[in-house]
Amino acid sequence: MAEKTLNPQKIREENKGKKLMMKLKRYRFIYLMLIPVVVYFLVFSYYPMLLGVVNSFREIRLLGGAAFVGWKNYQTILSSPVYSQAFVNTLIVGAGTFVLQFAWGLLLALCLNEIRRKATRSFFQTITYIPYLLSWAVVGSIWITLLSPSGLINGLLQVIQGESFRKVVFMSERSYARGIMIFTGAWKGAGYFAALFLAAIISINPTLYEAASIDGASRFQQMFCITIPAVVPTIKVVTMLGVMGMLRNFDQIFVMANSNIMDKVRNLLYLIYNEGIVQFKIGPASAAACVVLLATMVISFTVRKLIKYDQIG
Amino acid sequence: MKKNAVGVRHRNELNPAQKVVMWLFLLVVAVLMALPMWNVIVVSTSSTLESSRSGVVLWWHEFSIEGFKYVFEVSKLAKPFLNSLFVTTVGTVIQVLLSSIAGYVLIQRDLPFKGFITSFVMLTMMIPGDLTMISIYQLNRDLGLLNTYTGLILNGLISGFSILLMRNYFESISFTLAESARIDGASEMRIFAGIFLPISLPGLATVFFMEYVARWNSITIPAAILTNEAMYTLPLKLKAMILSTNSTSGTAQIPDNAIMAAIIITAAPLLLIYVFAQKFLLSGLNLGATKE
Repeated sequence: MAEKTLNPQKIREENKGKKLMMKLKRYRFIYLMLIPVVVYFLVFSYYPMLLGVVNSFREIRLLGGAAFVGWKNYQTILSSPVYSQAFVNTLIVGAGTFVLQFAWGLLLALCLNEIRRKATRSFFQTITYIPYLLSWAVVGSIWITLLSPSGLINGLLQVIQGESFRKVVFMSERSYARGIMIFTGAWKGAGYFAALFLAAIISINPTLYEAASIDGASRFQQMFCITIPAVVPTIKVVTMLGVMGMLRNFDQIFVMANSNIMDKVRNLLYLIYNEGIVQFKIGPASAAACVVLLATMVISFTVRKLIKYDQIG
Repeated sequence: MKKNAVGVRHRNELNPAQKVVMWLFLLVVAVLMALPMWNVIVVSTSSTLESSRSGVVLWWHEFSIEGFKYVFEVSKLAKPFLNSLFVTTVGTVIQVLLSSIAGYVLIQRDLPFKGFITSFVMLTMMIPGDLTMISIYQLNRDLGLLNTYTGLILNGLISGFSILLMRNYFESISFTLAESARIDGASEMRIFAGIFLPISLPGLATVFFMEYVARWNSITIPAAILTNEAMYTLPLKLKAMILSTNSTSGTAQIPDNAIMAAIIITAAPLLLIYVFAQKFLLSGLNLGATKE
């Protein structure tokens, strides 16, 4: 406040350090206000991350004490069949979910765009978007119950197959496990992708379609020559989101996996949780977390770059 | 579409065959997505006998709230519900307060080290909580926060994202208001609480509802720091209920209508927020989109 009374000429003459001190003094309450937030982030964000990195190089014994072991934990996870299996599961379930969700979302967006009546369109959009709003605890429970022996799916099969019907215990069939994860993942997320695509489609200049139509292009041709190219930037962003989601899919597996199908669906994040917190193998689990963290950071950095260039939020 | 002759009104639409395919696809997708949810609603309000019978249940045979009674009387869902309600509400209120303070700090003009502080806050958004789960667990263990309400509230108490939202909201308010108040000798606390907070109610509501939804749904933190079933939040309880049912073994321990009722109870508060606070959630998307 004192600064206000000084004349500008004089301030410019002051040396930089003194000016800074005055500003610091002026804003001291502002800094004071920030203390809880800074402390929180230091303790609950930065420290755990640092600890994770440090622990990835340490061996932690159950009865206290820890020793640095260099890259041993990383070697352990790289040569571990359980981790490589979790990696494979992450890739298969993640990529499968992404591809299905992508196709489902894009087709949905293209179809929604063809609906002329606004009320009809928002009706369909709302229905397909609701699953995305529900948490995995809810979606997982819904599908586990629907796929149970007395659930809706077995009921439908009974209607379709008639005499030859036999109950299927879907959630313990190993051959169905990954398919179920992929389908439910896409079921939950397709409406979200559709909304992203639709936002890009709606912002296309309508005169483009008019011009194409006057030139004799059919609506179907316009889809491929105008609509699809216009959503390419969104496709890039969605792809990156998909890859990130693939690496960080904990909730679904945590809710939906059971011991019968575990080795088919257990992904990296779930394995890290299980090894680290349930079984106390903190070192290797931290090393695995660091590897995934690094991958996620590289990807999220790329996403930010892409989003910036393409102006899509 | 080739009938583009003069006088014939050209309609830029799909041809009839394509239209049929399009509507068929939309219908199939809508049914695929709505049917499971509809089934949940119907089964949850059917009698236990009806719901245990296999078959396609898409309409009420016998309306009943036995399922809801069961989850409260037998599965003891009230405790997890109250746990969730308590930690979510308290945590979110504190979060809104702290993020608005931090947001206010970040809009100060020529605040020394503002760039550094901003990066300090933004960087936390790059640290995925689910990947630091093990260290979070260790930290909570060392602080004695395992199986406590304090632990459930403290973890994830502030997020870079909500600070960003508040900062963006404050930035849309004229800063000269604060300047003139400061010249008039108002204290920082008064400027913040007396000027900025009251006119930022819509922004506060946006952060409140967004964080409420995220916290209510959160499963990673409870999974990491809870082992005591008395402390379970709703998502964990739902998972525990589901695990003990017939999904894998074939022997039903908890009737389907009770499971469905638990699902509805878990989802209902959120759906209510989506219906009644949609305005705020949507404006949150816009606020988040105008980064940097």
